[in-house]
Amino acid sequence: MLPMIRVRLPQKKKEMEVPGPRRVMDILAAAGLRPATVIVTQGKHLLTKDHRVEDGETIDVISVVSGG
Amino acid sequence: MKCKRCRHNPAAVDLPSHHAAFCPDCFFVFFKRQVREGIRKYRLLSAGDRVLVCVSGGKDSLVLWDVLMEMGYETEGLYIDLGIEGYSGRSREKVETFARARGKTPIVVELEKEGVPIPEAARCVRMQECSICGTVKRYFFNRVAAEGNFNVVATGHNLDDETARLLGNLIHWQRDHLSRQHPHLPEAGEGLVRKVKPLWRVSEMETAAYGFLKGIDYVTEECPMSRDATSLVYKEALSLIEDKMPGSRIVFYQGFLDDANPVRQAPAGVTRGEDDAANGGTPRPCASCGAPTYSEICAFCRMKERVRRRREGHAEEVSG
Repeated sequence: MLPMIRVRLPQKKKEMEVPGPRRVMDILAAAGLRPATVIVTQGKHLLTKDHRVEDGETIDVISVVSGG
Repeated sequence: MKCKRCRHNPAAVDLPSHHAAFCPDCFFVFFKRQVREGIRKYRLLSAGDRVLVCVSGGKDSLVLWDVLMEMGYETEGLYIDLGIEGYSGRSREKVETFARARGKTPIVVELEKEGVPIPEAARCVRMQECSICGTVKRYFFNRVAAEGNFNVVATGHNLDDETARLLGNLIHWQRDHLSRQHPHLPEAGEGLVRKVKPLWRVSEMETAAYGFLKGIDYVTEECPMSRDATSLVYKEALSLIEDKMPGSRIVFYQGFLDDANPVRQAPAGVTRGEDDAANGGTPRPCASCGAPTYSEICAFCRMKERVRRRREGHAEEVSG
């Protein structure tokens, strides 16, 4: 099987795979997430929305919205 | 994308609302400038203040404490353990680890010991969980500030929090709430300490980015009791507008804060309310605990009494 981009959403305990290469903003759109509501990280790095993610890479999408 | 400030390093944070993108170092400069400007504009803090920072273990409050310490303010942290199974323990651990790394020990209030753990209080009082939590927290902000000689309490409310609250207040035309919504609530009478929100100019995303880049380990899970909070609906609506029209949120909030805005004028008889009772005039000591209140018994004591009665009722059922 060809490697894809692994997208982890730790707060939702969910994971998804999308074919690369793809920009962060396109990955978020595919996941139905608005850019202003998340930060996207790769290891210790924060990714901008136009950053291009390649097949075989893993990114974490962390929601920043708190209630209350 | 290159950093718009140093024009050299790759950008790590893009901010459409500011038509900017920054590398980590330049983002730290930008972020602190925003906080400093927020403090300056409404004179939230002064050099000699003794600041009680209310920390929950989440990104906003820990980032606030970190920034205020770096700016040189005299601060201590207050953590209120809400008594929510699992979640409260994990949050407290984040706060204590954060504080320890900076040579601090947070002041801790345990609501279980105080007789009002939030999950139990929610079963006794006909209020939304988040409103109960707010009432209890405000009570302890004042009490701990008085006990520890703090002259100001700072909370981590950010631009998203404030605009969500504003939208909710406007939709329901809560005139009294609108008149009291501000990053600076001055001291009001004996025991009602000044309350400030130094992060009012920065968004939730900016605070999260700052926390991540600074290596602040905050609790990312959502409070289990806030899942149905109406503020999340308002935030969702505002994030849609912000995505389509970047910068809308800050324009919305700054326009509201304009002194000339008639929406901010208090209706007759409304002063700075600290509890859920109708209020007017000056606060007086609660007949039960002595805390400042606008009614005979403060909201906290009323709540505590209901929890106590419920516990007694249960005990009687069991023994009977």
